[in-house]
Amino acid sequence: MQMLQKFGRMPIALTVPALAILLVVFGVPIVQLFLTSLNAPDLSMVNYRAFFGRSANVRVLYQTIEISLVATAICLIIGYPAAYLIVTASKRLRMTLIVLVVIPYLTSGLARTYAWIIILGDGGLINNLLLELGLISSPLPLIYNRMAVYIAMVHIMLPMMILPLVSVMMGIDRSLMAAARSMGAGPFTAFWRVFFPLSLPGVRSGSLLVFVICLGFYITPAAVGGLRDAMLSTFIASQVSTGFDMAPIAASSFILLAIAVAVLSLLGLDLSGTQGRAVQAVRKSRPSRRPSFGTIKSYLRELPVSSRAKRWTVQLYQARGDSQWSKIVGPVFVVVVMFYLLFPEAVVIIMSFSAGSVLEFPPSGLSLRWYRSFFDDPSWYGAAWTSIQIGVAVAVLSTVVGTLAAYGISRARPQLRSSLTMAILTPITIPVIVVGVATYFGLANLGLIGSKTGIVLAHSIGAIGYVVVIVSATLANFDRTLEQAAMSMRAGPLQTFMRVTLPLIRPGIIGGAVFAFIHSFDEVVVTSFVGGFSMYTLPLKMWENIRNQIDPTVAAVASLLTLLPVIWLVALYVTWWRSRRTSHRVLPEAQV
Amino acid sequence: MKYRLNRRRFIQATSSAIAVGALSSVTTRAVAQSSGELRVLVNGGEVGKAQIEAYVKPFAAETGINVTPITQDLDFAKLELMMKANNVTIDASPLNPGAVFPATDKGYLEKIDYSIYKKEELDGFYDFARDPFGVASLVYSYNMIYNTKKFPADKQRPANWAEFWDVAKFPGTRFLVSGQLGAEGPWEEALLAEGVDLDRLYPMDIDRIFASLDKIKPHIRKWWTNGSEIQQLMSGGTGDIMNSYDGRAISLIDKGSPIEINRSQAKLTWDYWVIPKGGPNTQNAQKFIEFATRGERQAVFCKLYPEGPSNRNAFKFIPKDVARKLPTHPDYVAKSIPINGRWYAEVGSDGLSNTQRLAQRWNEWVLR
Repeated sequence: MQMLQKFGRMPIALTVPALAILLVVFGVPIVQLFLTSLNAPDLSMVNYRAFFGRSANVRVLYQTIEISLVATAICLIIGYPAAYLIVTASKRLRMTLIVLVVIPYLTSGLARTYAWIIILGDGGLINNLLLELGLISSPLPLIYNRMAVYIAMVHIMLPMMILPLVSVMMGIDRSLMAAARSMGAGPFTAFWRVFFPLSLPGVRSGSLLVFVICLGFYITPAAVGGLRDAMLSTFIASQVSTGFDMAPIAASSFILLAIAVAVLSLLGLDLSGTQGRAVQAVRKSRPSRRPSFGTIKSYLRELPVSSRAKRWTVQLYQARGDSQWSKIVGPVFVVVVMFYLLFPEAVVIIMSFSAGSVLEFPPSGLSLRWYRSFFDDPSWYGAAWTSIQIGVAVAVLSTVVGTLAAYGISRARPQLRSSLTMAILTPITIPVIVVGVATYFGLANLGLIGSKTGIVLAHSIGAIGYVVVIVSATLANFDRTLEQAAMSMRAGPLQTFMRVTLPLIRPGIIGGAVFAFIHSFDEVVVTSFVGGFSMYTLPLKMWENIRNQIDPTVAAVASLLTLLPVIWLVALYVTWWRSRRTSHRVLPEAQV
Repeated sequence: MKYRLNRRRFIQATSSAIAVGALSSVTTRAVAQSSGELRVLVNGGEVGKAQIEAYVKPFAAETGINVTPITQDLDFAKLELMMKANNVTIDASPLNPGAVFPATDKGYLEKIDYSIYKKEELDGFYDFARDPFGVASLVYSYNMIYNTKKFPADKQRPANWAEFWDVAKFPGTRFLVSGQLGAEGPWEEALLAEGVDLDRLYPMDIDRIFASLDKIKPHIRKWWTNGSEIQQLMSGGTGDIMNSYDGRAISLIDKGSPIEINRSQAKLTWDYWVIPKGGPNTQNAQKFIEFATRGERQAVFCKLYPEGPSNRNAFKFIPKDVARKLPTHPDYVAKSIPINGRWYAEVGSDGLSNTQRLAQRWNEWVLR
């Protein structure tokens, strides 16, 4: 008990388990890698100079940043309004929409990339349709260019943007908007001055996740991009396979990491405790915006206040959507986004029922043979079972450890906070191939290569990062005074955490667990290194199948995977529904 | 009190779970090392299935040595990682020449014990198939393939790489293999297009390769990076002509695609069976490889999967129609070039191998 109280006073200690796992599995070998990049013990910059000495490297580096930034911006532009509309939808619709966002995310990235090839290809869906209709005489070049890279990358990353945004927006107190409106703010002003600043933590963590993961992309750009659309990871991967000269590989990886760090500090590393900052930002923005907009504008803004004041009581209790126009645009936008997210999914599912022996769309005939081939082959369902076991272990371990860490970080001093966040995020900011190499050495030190425990640890170092990002975003919107109130009622720190903090940040924790599971379930590169030729996970099996002969079993597996989130969300819904009933009973007590 | 109990129970549970995890991993490793059983990589997919049927099962039946086939690929990075971590978990594996020669130079491979091979089998091997540190397991080739709708047999069609480069005379949608890995790329084809003779390709002139590639670059729709893309590109019916693995092309033809293979100026390459140094059971690995490279065994494999035997004796056991599908059919070998893996592994004064030099040059070239 005493120890727990001590922990309560020293919340930073809560980050210890997360950091310990990171250090042993990943930290020590990555430091070794860094020293290698400096040619230790000589400590020279020769590898870095060599990197920047080649103009091709510099251009690819620039291109990698450009592609990642543009993809992130598109995700944000599409994702923010989508998340807003999801949050403002009715409860049942919201649930459905979230499920629809999660479904494509759970489908293997490989399968989704493949679906885009089928859709955009020269003999693909769109070109075939246009040719049939006689609108074009030769296929449009829809694929093997930068546009296709963005379409496929944004499709893969969009759920990563929408989910953190939704989790933050759900935590925003709606009555604040109503209060703003009651003070005479128009709907746009209320949104821009109140809702938007409060949603910034979500924007920040969503953009951060998307950007950082985009930096490490290479399978998708290679599959749908043109010759020029190379990413730095492609270079690193080719360095790894052409000759295992670790020093230049390590140097390129640390350059990529440096970019991630630079952009993160520009965006604001501070994932948690952003409430204060957001308010500050609003305050700061006032004087700075006035001169730019001009006094006339502000005068004009004041003019309708009196008339608005008359109407506000009426409007306040009206359903949202102030004009006919926005009533139509909102749903249409959501439908378009959902179509974009789900259409490739539908293509994959339809192809999985193909009777032919190659992946084709539309299929020449329908059959269940590829599902049978999955359930008849022990190497397929065995791999699936291994993946599920590992995924569950990773989700449990990284959710517990990551939530503790996020909680500890949110209570730490700001300087410490950003460096701790950075440390925990390192495994998802470095190109996966380097993580694979580093983890291999880390696990070899422990003698865990080729064991389930080893793979669980290897996946957890990345999964902890996701949990921390998502839980931190939720904690940022969390009102600390509720905890202080509980403490003032003589609740101990643990009790406060269990009874007040935990229930309030639960959506974030559940989101984190889902991401952790998915991260493990979809991971190929690191697993192929640390699996040590004795562990076979589902993505490894799919990757093997895709490289060797594409048969529609891959599509069948991908379709089965889409079933998983549906089952899961039904389970979640049931637990939520039950906990809601109990919380209704608890709430009046707490208010007393 | 309640919390303390929970905590203690929690710690007990987790520590025992960790102990069980650690123990189980220790015991499995110990078992693998103590018995005489073999762990052999056999590649994934259909190749893996065929290797298990043709080599793994009969070997276990004949010798009584238990073999665990692992349907994965070995590459240089993984081999080096095992060596550096001093944790070699496999006994034998196929490995491509691009990795075999650097691995030989670094001392990662066991020498092949040719003293246990029968004389007639040794004589059966093609020259390129026998290396001190590896025996060729299966031979495959890069060929020009055409869509017969675009290039029917009764009309003139590109006969060699110079004509593939001639976009004015033979218009059509073209694909070529990407050179991003250095070891695999349209290098030999580019020189042949320039008119270099088959037997004078090596040592290759890298400047000349890229000068030749400059000419074809604007006319290539897609530079493919892995074999399954070939099926995607050609079965859609949009591709007219490309360079392709023969195995992929044959499986397309077998499924009814209108495709024909041009066997002249084909580029032969192969995997070597290798034995990583320090593996648990290198003695039995030698026996396994000797068994798997016998002509009779390779014939069984080739009937299951259409890749070429490295041992000419195999053709004694292969029906004529199947033999015609294999890249090492004596008629085809005469018109083909075996890839020179030694040249690719050669390290220059700057410390880079030719493979690395090609990859670097490629990376700069694609951005231009």
